[in-house]
Amino acid sequence: MNCERIEELLFSYLEDELSPAEKNFVETHLAACQECALLYSASKETREALSGFPEVEVGESLMSKLYAIPEKKKKFSFSLDFLLKPSLQPIFAALTVFLTIMSFYLFNPDKKYIDRSINQKIHLGYSQVEKLYAKAESWTDRLDDYKDNVLGSLKNWKIFGGDKDEAKS
Amino acid sequence: MDLNKVIKECLEGKEGAWEMLVNTYSKRIFNMAYQFGGSYQEAEDLTQDIFLKLYHSLPKYDFEKNFTAWLLTLAKNHLIDTYRKTKWEKANRDDFNEHFLALEAAENPEAGLIRKANRKMVWESLNHLSSEIRMAIILRDIQDKSYEEIAEILSLPIGTVKSRVNRGRLELAKILQEKKEGSDEL
Repeated sequence: MNCERIEELLFSYLEDELSPAEKNFVETHLAACQECALLYSASKETREALSGFPEVEVGESLMSKLYAIPEKKKKFSFSLDFLLKPSLQPIFAALTVFLTIMSFYLFNPDKKYIDRSINQKIHLGYSQVEKLYAKAESWTDRLDDYKDNVLGSLKNWKIFGGDKDEAKS
Repeated sequence: MDLNKVIKECLEGKEGAWEMLVNTYSKRIFNMAYQFGGSYQEAEDLTQDIFLKLYHSLPKYDFEKNFTAWLLTLAKNHLIDTYRKTKWEKANRDDFNEHFLALEAAENPEAGLIRKANRKMVWESLNHLSSEIRMAIILRDIQDKSYEEIAEILSLPIGTVKSRVNRGRLELAKILQEKKEGSDEL
């Protein structure tokens, strides 16, 4: 228990930050406990070692790289300035949406199935258009027949010089 | 030097202003990155990243705040984020002798062999600490910042900073003790 307390107080003791009572407690314990005395000695050496690291000089090549940071930034911003026009924002947004959809399609592991279903849809659409054309043709035929019938019956009317007897027979 | 003036000039693109900022802070940031990660090459890349971030974030800087603390917070966040993403510092730290002993010889010719050996062991043990505790130790014990400054940089209460520093020191002391006992047994 005392040794744990010593661990807490050791560095404050080294920095002379303890109250006289705490200082006395540490000194008494260190005189009696060899393990804590060794730790005290190691702590002292650690403090000395840490405070003694000299500062390392910065190399010239690094300094030139650091000085050049604004130049790099200027070049970059100059070349890409036109991209920052607000008028281009809707185009970028549309492009982003398009690219996102394309990437979903191109990198989808089920791309084959997607292709197949697209083909099926296209074929279905195509056959439906063909059916519509066929229907439209039959409609024009029927309209032609109807027109012929109407014209035929009109010709047979007396008022238009049709032969009533012939119609009767 | 009026830092706020320099920053304003920097934002206006005035010649020489950015260089002044680089001259003032490059050594501090580089050493922080080097002490944190332990790799000289990595520290160069990280310093470049941090200054690039600084350049982009400068327009967002609040002039009411302390610029140094703001920059060191930005650097700390970048270092810890990089650590979490890449775990680059899991690799061994650079050999202690490589960059330090030449400087030490010039500054402290009287330094004893034991002291040098202790420094080497502590330097190599820094990677055993978690990134948060290591950062607190670097700021307090290597860079000699006050607890108030560290609390501002780490955005933590002073009590938490003190507890992290104490925990880190204790862990390092125990590692040093173990290493010494190990070498004595040999």
